Amino acid sequence: MWIYEKKLEYPIKIKRPNANLARLIMSQLGGPDGELGASTRYLNQRYSMPYREVQGTLTDVGTEELAHMEMVGTIIHQLTRNLSIDEIKNSGFDAYFVDHTTGVWPSAASGVPFSTNTLQSTGDPITDLNEDLAAEMKARTTYDNLLRLIDDPDVRDPIKFLREREIVHYQRFGEALGQVREHLDSKNFFAFNPAFDK
Amino acid sequence: MEMNNNKPSTCKRLKALDFAIIETGLFLNTHPTDAKALAYFNKLNEERKAAYDDYTEHCGPLTLFDDNTMSSWDWVKTPWPWEMED
Repeated sequence: MWIYEKKLEYPIKIKRPNANLARLIMSQLGGPDGELGASTRYLNQRYSMPYREVQGTLTDVGTEELAHMEMVGTIIHQLTRNLSIDEIKNSGFDAYFVDHTTGVWPSAASGVPFSTNTLQSTGDPITDLNEDLAAEMKARTTYDNLLRLIDDPDVRDPIKFLREREIVHYQRFGEALGQVREHLDSKNFFAFNPAFDK
Repeated sequence: MEMNNNKPSTCKRLKALDFAIIETGLFLNTHPTDAKALAYFNKLNEERKAAYDDYTEHCGPLTLFDDNTMSSWDWVKTPWPWEMED
């Protein structure tokens, strides 16, 4: 189960609101490669993972992604404080504002709503870990693209932290894939699905 | 408990320790027999005990389960982490 700790994993204090940035950063909350997608993958893949040490990685990284989801929501919330109607009209935030005001609704920067269509939980350990390696790199690319568009150091700082965490998670999932292989026959890792076949 | 803007450094200490513990824990999941990592984890966890007590005494409850030092329900009185301290 989860217990909520009343703190952020990394400090966020954004002095200048910016509705345009909020719309872009929304992708890391509800976009195809965002933190909600990451936590949904790992926390749901862990049930069919047959090896406890890998269930550990999936549970603990999945839990950290929930904390990252909270950070992204916090960034969006702080960027949309005290907005004037002119700022809303001129920032590209107006369409979102119509349906959500300055509430937080997980979606992509394009407006496409969050969906599990963008992620997989295949019930096959090797496949799931490859999905997860890809997910971490997609998230890292998204953060790279955001950093190209963000000048405000208050926003860059937590975004850079989140980007670094993706690279660390990628390293851990690679090691977890190695742990799965250790349980299998090196002459053919793909002979059967250890989560399903007897 | 004081609610002022000059938080003691123990508020940051617990948060920094927790990040190090999480990071070491992730490493141990894929390196479960690494003696140096295990020793580091145990050292951090030992330090956390005092930092946790300091935090809940001076900075507010960390979880719903924490004892309140006052007679009121501080869980909903202290700022939530996403708030700006204007």
